[in-house]
Amino acid sequence: MATELRPNYDTFARLAQGAKTVSCGCTPKAHSRYCDQNLTRGANLKATMVRTADLAQRERHASCMNSIACEQSREAFAELFEFFAPRLKSYMQRLGANESEAEELVQDVMITVWRKAGMYDPRQASVSTWIFRVARNRRIDAQRRTSRPELEPDEPMLQPAPAEQPDAAVARGQLEEQVRAQMANLPEEQLVLLQAAFYDGLSHSEIAETYGIPLGTVKSRIRLAFMKMRGGLDAPT
Amino acid sequence: MTENAIPYSALYAAYAAGTLDPGYALLVETQGALRQDVRRAIAMSEAAAGALLEAEAAAPMAANALDRAFAAIDALGPVAAPSRTGTPDDADEIGRLPAPLAEAVSRSVAAEGWKSPRRGIGRLRLDMGSAAEVELFRIQPGASVPRHTHGANEYTLVVTGGYSDGTGSYGPGDLSLKGPDDTHTPVGDEGEVCYALIVRDGALRLTGMIGVMQRILGH
Repeated sequence: MATELRPNYDTFARLAQGAKTVSCGCTPKAHSRYCDQNLTRGANLKATMVRTADLAQRERHASCMNSIACEQSREAFAELFEFFAPRLKSYMQRLGANESEAEELVQDVMITVWRKAGMYDPRQASVSTWIFRVARNRRIDAQRRTSRPELEPDEPMLQPAPAEQPDAAVARGQLEEQVRAQMANLPEEQLVLLQAAFYDGLSHSEIAETYGIPLGTVKSRIRLAFMKMRGGLDAPT
Repeated sequence: MTENAIPYSALYAAYAAGTLDPGYALLVETQGALRQDVRRAIAMSEAAAGALLEAEAAAPMAANALDRAFAAIDALGPVAAPSRTGTPDDADEIGRLPAPLAEAVSRSVAAEGWKSPRRGIGRLRLDMGSAAEVELFRIQPGASVPRHTHGANEYTLVVTGGYSDGTGSYGPGDLSLKGPDDTHTPVGDEGEVCYALIVRDGALRLTGMIGVMQRILGH
C-alpha cells in the first residue's frame, strides 16, 4: 500500500487548534504529562541531560548521516531510526498527537532525514538539533496564527548590534558543545523551564499557569538558564 | 575581554520551538541573517532543543515502523542532489535579500504585487499567515513615508540601506519599535535603497491629507 509521503498538515492543524480545556491551561495530554508528573519528569530530565554531554554518540550520529548522504546506507539509516524515531514519537505525543498520528509524523520526519541527509553539516549543529529542526518545521508548516510573542521594552533584538569581537565567529558546532555542557549542570527546575520554553514552545504565561509559578519567576529563571548556557563571563546585571 | 552579552528573548525560544507567530518568526530570521548576535542566540536556542530531543523518553514504535520507512524510501527512487531553491523572482534587489524574506516576497508579488502609496515608496503586503500585519517597504533615498499614527505597536527592521526619523538613524539589522502614540516620518537615507520589514499589530492609520485620500480610495 502506498505510503503517504506528504506532510500531514491536517494533523498539525488539528493540534494547533487543540483547545486548552484544563483549568491550569494545559491541553489534556499536556496536563497528564506535565502537572501530574511534574516532579518525576524533572528528575528524569536532569539524569538524561547529563548523558547528552556524550560526544561519542553525537559523532556516531554524524557518521551515520554522512553514510546516508554519500552511500545511501540503509544500515546507517536504521541506526538513526532506532535512536530518533521513538524520541520523535514522544515529541509528537507531547504536542498532542495520538498513537497513530505520532507514528505517521515520525515516518514523515525520518523520510525527510533520508532525503535531505546531504544538506547536513556537522560543523553547524548536532544531528539531534538538525532532526529537531525538521520536526519543528513540520509544526511550523501547518500552524498559522500561533503564539504571540511577549515583547518587552528591553527586547534584545531592539538593541544595536554589539561590536564584533575578533574571535566572535564561533562556529555553531562549538556553540552546541557549550550549550550541552552547561545544560548538563543546570538544576532540574531550570531544565524543566528551558524545555517548556525552547522545546514545547510555551509562552511565559502558559508556563506560569502550567507549573503554578509566578510569571516574574518564570522569566528570571529562564533568563538565568539562558545566561548559563551562553557560558563565558556573566555580564553584571 | 567581556564576552558580548546575548540577553534572553522569549522570541528566540518560541522561534526555536516553532510556536512563534509566522510574522514575528520572519522578523527573527531576517534579523538573524543580518546580525551575528541574533544568529548566535537562535543557534543556542535550537541547540538546547536538540539536546532536549535526545533526552526525550523513547516511545516504542510499531513493530513494522522501520519496514514502512524503507518502503517509502524505495518509493522515492534515487535521491536527487540537493539543489538551492533560487528565488523565482529575477529582480536582483529581491534576490539579495535574506532567503526567507526573499521567498516571502516572491510569493506575495505573485499574489498581490507592489503598491506605491507615494512617489519613491513601494509597499508590499506579505502573506505569512500571521495575526499581525507584515509588510516590506521599499524606500528610495530621500523619499519620505507618509506621516501616520499607528493603531498599535509597529516593529521596523532595516534590511538594506537605511532611514532616519525624529528618533534616530537606522541601518541594516536595526530594529525599532514604535507605539500607538508615536508619529514619525521615516526618510530614506542617501545611498542604497532602503528595504524595511515591518510587523504591525493592528491597522495602520494615516493622518493628514494623504490619509484622508487613502481612506477614500480604499487603501
